[in-house]
Amino acid sequence: MTKEELLSKLKTIIEPYVQNQEGFQNISEDTNFIEDLEINSANLVDVILDVEDEFNIEIDNDGMDKMLTVKASIEVIQDKLATK
Amino acid sequence: MIGNDIVDLKLASVQSNWQRKGWLQKIFTESEQDRIWDAENSNHMVWKLWSMKEAAYKAHQRLFSLSPKYNPNDFICTDSNVMVHNYNYQTVSKQTEKYIYTIAYTDQSNFISKVFTDKSLEYKSKLVYYIADVMNVNLSAVTLQKDRNGIPYVKIDNRVTDIAISLSSHGSFSAFTIDL
Repeated sequence: MTKEELLSKLKTIIEPYVQNQEGFQNISEDTNFIEDLEINSANLVDVILDVEDEFNIEIDNDGMDKMLTVKASIEVIQDKLATK
Repeated sequence: MIGNDIVDLKLASVQSNWQRKGWLQKIFTESEQDRIWDAENSNHMVWKLWSMKEAAYKAHQRLFSLSPKYNPNDFICTDSNVMVHNYNYQTVSKQTEKYIYTIAYTDQSNFISKVFTDKSLEYKSKLVYYIADVMNVNLSAVTLQKDRNGIPYVKIDNRVTDIAISLSSHGSFSAFTIDL
């Protein structure tokens, strides 16, 4: 899966939880879910569960720790896909 | 050191379905999950424990200037204490039908806190008023900023102070805590 495809899937996953639409329009690798998209911190659990379902992977605590930005999330997903 | 967190229970019930498969397991230890299911009101217990973890996270992050991390599982609640690695934070929670509010603190804390329930979300300006009053400076001299880790701090006359503050807002509710 290319990075573009991955980003596109990730965007679809996070969209329902985004509270700052402007931040979502300008999404980039540096986008922070809480600071820039105003995703409620309790909803990050849903993002992680949705990612697990979509990519059929399991995100462990170490992966979860990092999943605060687009860039880190893509890295975690790529990492888990590679070791599947 | 202090940290706070407020949960609007009505909004939380719209935003989160904690009964979703896997949800509790990602955040809570087995003994915390037992505590949730044994509680008279499991929904309230979910958000109480969540607010304890969040408040302790903020206090811990401030104490060690930590970069942001999503690790609610590392914060372990026992009674009203939250343990992270070898550090313990005490907490005090206020619960109403509409919100749950928790302050986490270390032994040496001397904090005051205020909850705003009027949807006006004036908590930041009220905190600035309070600081200006206590420090006996002009209102315009006090500003609230965030550092590179997202931790809020107070500037007075453009100088960084070591006043510990914590801010939280969710739905109709907001709160500040300040350690003097």
